[in-house]
Amino acid sequence: MTDLEQYAPGPANGAQIRKDGEKWTLILVRELRHSREKVWQALTDPAQLREWAPFDADGNLGTTGTKVKLTTVRTPVPNVSEAKVALAVAPEVLEYNWGDHNMRWELEPFGGGTRLTLWTNIGRRFIAMGAAGWHICFDVLERLIAGEPIGRIVGPEAMKFGWQRLHAEYAKQFGMETPDWPPQAAQKS
Amino acid sequence: MKIKVTSVYVDDQDKALRFYTEVLGFAKKTDFSQGPYRWLTVASPEEPDGTELQLALNNNPAAKAYQQAIFQQGQPAAMFFTDNIKGDHERIKARGAEFTMPPTDVTGSTIAMLKDTCGNLIQLTQLARYSH
Repeated sequence: MTDLEQYAPGPANGAQIRKDGEKWTLILVRELRHSREKVWQALTDPAQLREWAPFDADGNLGTTGTKVKLTTVRTPVPNVSEAKVALAVAPEVLEYNWGDHNMRWELEPFGGGTRLTLWTNIGRRFIAMGAAGWHICFDVLERLIAGEPIGRIVGPEAMKFGWQRLHAEYAKQFGMETPDWPPQAAQKS
Repeated sequence: MKIKVTSVYVDDQDKALRFYTEVLGFAKKTDFSQGPYRWLTVASPEEPDGTELQLALNNNPAAKAYQQAIFQQGQPAAMFFTDNIKGDHERIKARGAEFTMPPTDVTGSTIAMLKDTCGNLIQLTQLARYSH
């Protein structure tokens, strides 16, 4: 648990947003020291997803055409949605939907490791929230692949680990108004 | 303990937010998402720290069946209280809402019923003691 206690996310970094008509896309890039095969496993294997992702999967995401149920973790009510794996080319490209969010992951070789890029469509008002949440998830993913798992940090846990600061930093980077979350009343507890 | 939030199921949260703010006149209070999960509430501008109404996505088949059944029976999914039901009726109607019942005197109150465009009937109530 000491690894978890010592965890603090770094500054907001590696995120871009793109607007295409009314559709907003969040693009997150993370350079990892590990092989694409290892990263691929962490993105597709339900047991590894449980260690870092904001959802649980009831099956492996690594085969094109597979249908997998994804369940949000630590939301007041679990949101269950059926994901269809639109494309899985190990260890290069993975594409599926999480509810109405399209998730496209690309794994490129990078200096002996992997450059991981996520494209996901997300409403404008949630784009800084998404960037902050995935930032923390990617930190946890990195530690998991390094063989030093600290356990996933999602939902309310993220609030204890600097999510609000990241949220404000990403909002600023994206040129958006300072986000009003959590609301004053909710900060007491 | 306090009654702080109550909810209605809606078939589309964006559409519901537009209706409950632009047509009914409530204000967005909290809006938070984690992937496809979205916690969305509105509150009355007359009572910004009062009870919130959660606009919950109805992606649950059991809740959907319940929502449709009570809608077909003409039962409201939520009730809002006003001290000017005739004025609210005119204002909300002018913004395009469809009333299934205009302001009607019943025992102890005047009520009206409208469709929220998201699968629900909403009742407006003005208690008789507030009448002039």
